[in-house]
Amino acid sequence: MKLNMNFSIITRWEFKNTLKSKKFLLIFFMQLSVLAMLIFMFNSFAANIESEKGLSLTPSLVDFATLDVDDQGGLFKKSIDQEIIKIYSTNGNSSFLRIEAGETNGLYTVSSDSIVRIQNGEIVDTVLYLDYADPRRSVIRDSINTTTKSVSSALTQSYLQSANPSNNTPQAGLKEEKTGESLPMQIIKKVMLVVLLFLPLFLFGNIIIDSVVGEKERKTAEILVAMPISPGEILLGKGLAVVAISALQVVMWIVVLIAAGFTINNVILVYLLVVLTAVPIVGLTSIIAAYAKNYKEAGIGITFAYVMVVGFLIVPALAYISRKSFSANISPMTTVMRLFAGEAITIPEILMSVTFVIILSIIFFGIATWLFRRDDVLFGPRPGPVKLTLQFLRIKKR
Amino acid sequence: MKTPSTITKIMALAKKEARDILQNRIYLLVVLVQVFIIIGAVGLVAVAAVASDPALLDQVGVTSALNIGLPQNLEGSSLSKYLEEEKITLNYYNTTDEAKLELGTKLVAVVDLSSSGEVVVQVDTSNVFYPVVSTKISDAVDKFNTEKTLKNAGLNESQVNIIQNPVNFQEIKINQDNQVPLALDSPYFVEVIYGFIVPFILLLPFFLASNIVTDSVVGEKERKTFEVLLMTPLSSYMVIIGKIIPILFFSLIQSIAWIAVLDLLRVPIFNPGLLVLVLFFMGLAFIGVGILISMLVDSTKEANSAITLVLVFATFILFIPLFVKSEIFQGVFNFIPTVLMVKLAVSPNIRPEIMLYLLPTLIISFLIFVGTVRSFRHERAIRL
Repeated sequence: MKLNMNFSIITRWEFKNTLKSKKFLLIFFMQLSVLAMLIFMFNSFAANIESEKGLSLTPSLVDFATLDVDDQGGLFKKSIDQEIIKIYSTNGNSSFLRIEAGETNGLYTVSSDSIVRIQNGEIVDTVLYLDYADPRRSVIRDSINTTTKSVSSALTQSYLQSANPSNNTPQAGLKEEKTGESLPMQIIKKVMLVVLLFLPLFLFGNIIIDSVVGEKERKTAEILVAMPISPGEILLGKGLAVVAISALQVVMWIVVLIAAGFTINNVILVYLLVVLTAVPIVGLTSIIAAYAKNYKEAGIGITFAYVMVVGFLIVPALAYISRKSFSANISPMTTVMRLFAGEAITIPEILMSVTFVIILSIIFFGIATWLFRRDDVLFGPRPGPVKLTLQFLRIKKR
Repeated sequence: MKTPSTITKIMALAKKEARDILQNRIYLLVVLVQVFIIIGAVGLVAVAAVASDPALLDQVGVTSALNIGLPQNLEGSSLSKYLEEEKITLNYYNTTDEAKLELGTKLVAVVDLSSSGEVVVQVDTSNVFYPVVSTKISDAVDKFNTEKTLKNAGLNESQVNIIQNPVNFQEIKINQDNQVPLALDSPYFVEVIYGFIVPFILLLPFFLASNIVTDSVVGEKERKTFEVLLMTPLSSYMVIIGKIIPILFFSLIQSIAWIAVLDLLRVPIFNPGLLVLVLFFMGLAFIGVGILISMLVDSTKEANSAITLVLVFATFILFIPLFVKSEIFQGVFNFIPTVLMVKLAVSPNIRPEIMLYLLPTLIISFLIFVGTVRSFRHERAIRL
């Protein structure tokens, strides 16, 4: 029982110390403002995508390409997508010079008597001159193809009507019934929200780094090691303090998200799973902190490690969206995503990620403690990573 | 006017900083990782471009992934003929309900003909090929409906031809001898690569440089070598320049290398000189902010948190305008350096006046630089 009290003292001490720092509190609350910005961007982004035909994640590219258009009848010019292509109405005389000068990417001409031809039911000729020295040629070609197709089918319909005024055949249309939410929308709604939920876990690694690497740099590690507490308890104490701070921030973020109108089903379970995931992340951070010689090394190690952790968390979640497989539940992100979306999820699936997280926590804290206990890692000369791994696996003797 | 000896002194400081950076093995590893990120990003966009373009999919020949279901009684009908022409794989089932069971797993869509002659389609919109299959099905249905109506109208062949193809389209290529080799001649590919990936890749070295930069002053404070720096016989301007030059130089070299890599991957980048100029000033701003933060905070912990926040805000300001259309802000967006980078990278011929849009970036980086120097002077005043 004395063991437990010792590390909880450290936890309480670290926790209080961190919260007392004014600069830390400032950054803590600034992160909330970042969240507010993220929510705002996310909402306007989702609205922007929903309003366009054919949901796709493409850059907006206003005035990306320029096209000279000679269409006196105006029918084709109207149908060109003006969001990406800037249209320059012309009679075509100066267009080739403009193409050479790079002021435009092509010339699109429509027969000057297009309206008359349409009225007489004759074919309309169109030509597209495209500058092949410019990579934007495919964008323009695609846009004009779409224009041609849409005007063409409109004309076909009207010719059919006029050829068959007493149209007895029912106007057979195409009735589309959709099942399943479209893929881009799913990605946006679910994945972005789950990333927002897990983001706070990555913002506090610095506390552990400062806690452990700072002791090395300030040369106070000797004092710490001399205390009547085992290294494992020291690390655990510091780690739990960080988990507690992350838990605090996650709670605040969830409140802000719900207030902003997001629906989070099974809130308590979602919260518990997110906070539980903080434990192995802090464990991994402790390993880096224990091994790093100084802040620079620690900083770069953390960047790498966090990128990999994000990858491990998010890839199964993304895979789950396109193909619902059981193994994707190994990532707590997948489980959280399914929980807050209110999907039917079984206990074994939840247990899969919980077990995985607990196992990783034990492994990471175990390695961190093993490193922290060693004088050569803490004070130098530090053995290289390969040697250490071999010693850890007990292949090589110390 | 800088005297030669001053330049020598700055170069000495710069060389020391450069050595520190190059000795950092992790920094070198990070540079290598960027090459993989570039190849991965371009590859991913290429795959997405092929998946969303019916013409490219046909070229690649992925017909086997486009599965739709039909009831047995439609086999051999003209509707199924038009669907086959669109290069979709048709799977026949005894009834439409049987087919619907496989919707969402094997089948992307189920097509049926109602008793009133209407074509009814059920689609699984969560399938990655949904947009392509949807386009192909509507094309086939259009032809089917046109054929049906024409049958009842009793028209001669030339009239039928005009009705089915009322517009004659011809494409004439200009400047073919200067044709740029593109990895994929697809609009989606061009839009995403130039509209987002290119500025992202060219800015990567600067984002990754920020870790190095925060150590530059805070690290010195913590290792107790900052006072030594304050005492060097160089003016504050020169110290800051000496600290900025190495990392700015390395980052610019990386960006230039990435331009070459992109060219190799058949993503031609135009106006590289002007792009480097834009990157120079952006780099100055990024690195300047890093050093400024480094001087204002007391510990690396705070410096790292602060630089992370700055990078998040920078990402918003630089990349969100690439994805957002706003009538109110469109004019302002033109002044954002990433928007300028997109225009420079994609245009073989560019009007030089477009560089005027760089002015705000220039002014901001200059102000940051001056702010950094002032801060350093202040430190000198209070610490010595």
